[in-house]
Amino acid sequence: MLTLVVGGAGSGKSAYAEHLIERSDAARRVYLATMEPFGFEARQRIEKHRAMRENKGFVTVERFTDLSGLTLPPDSAVLLEDMGNLCANELFSPHGAGENAAEAILRGVACLHAQCRELVIVSNEVFTGGTDYLGESEAYLSLLSYVNRKIAKTAERVCEVSGGIATDYKGEET
Amino acid sequence: MIFLFGPLWSGKRAAAREILHCDDAELARRAVWDVQELARARADLETLAEELADKDVVIATEVGGGIVPVDAAERTARERAGRLNCLLAERADTVVRVFCGIPMVIKGELP
Repeated sequence: MLTLVVGGAGSGKSAYAEHLIERSDAARRVYLATMEPFGFEARQRIEKHRAMRENKGFVTVERFTDLSGLTLPPDSAVLLEDMGNLCANELFSPHGAGENAAEAILRGVACLHAQCRELVIVSNEVFTGGTDYLGESEAYLSLLSYVNRKIAKTAERVCEVSGGIATDYKGEET
Repeated sequence: MIFLFGPLWSGKRAAAREILHCDDAELARRAVWDVQELARARADLETLAEELADKDVVIATEVGGGIVPVDAAERTARERAGRLNCLLAERADTVVRVFCGIPMVIKGELP
């Protein structure tokens, strides 16, 4: 089962995604972290999410690019957090796929989906703050929105979280 | 408490007046709006949410949906506004999200 969970800043999307993983009866819970720990704020953010997951039995795997090269334990429920960071890494990091970012990401997602029982992908609603973007920002927004749309096509469920409450656009919580 | 939120100028207060069957003056007594601005300044969001929950209606403008701002203080303010929304939604009997003037009940039901 593939679920795409989309939300803005502070929307409660992570907590909701964790709730979905906790409900899964898969043998293992894997937290696939995509955020590179650069700078104070990133480290703080990572720490906050780590605290949220404490005692929930997650194994944390850090992977900043190239998801398709990843082997997961069998029978696992995987929380990929988040697509916004992965897109930035693939697009801008020296280890990223650069102009082939979209294919690399979608290949990676397909690869994860094939390996695990439950896949929950957290993505970011960053598209309602205006349309006047240039250069790198536009390339980034265009990539993330493309990837979101492609994943939404494959996903059994697509929901948007706001105020901690999920609204379904496709499928529903089972 | 009814928590009502949505994008800027989406018709949140008009929806609130309709829900409460009231005019602006009564709304001003029974509701509080722009609470996203309060989240920016207050240290303890839990206490803030508790206090706000005393009102009949709490209204927030969603500010967490655009591209992440370069300014660290703005990033934090958006995050805190979103977090306050989650806390208010938890406490609310009814949560309404307003989009293009259309209220959508996403928790509980309208009185």
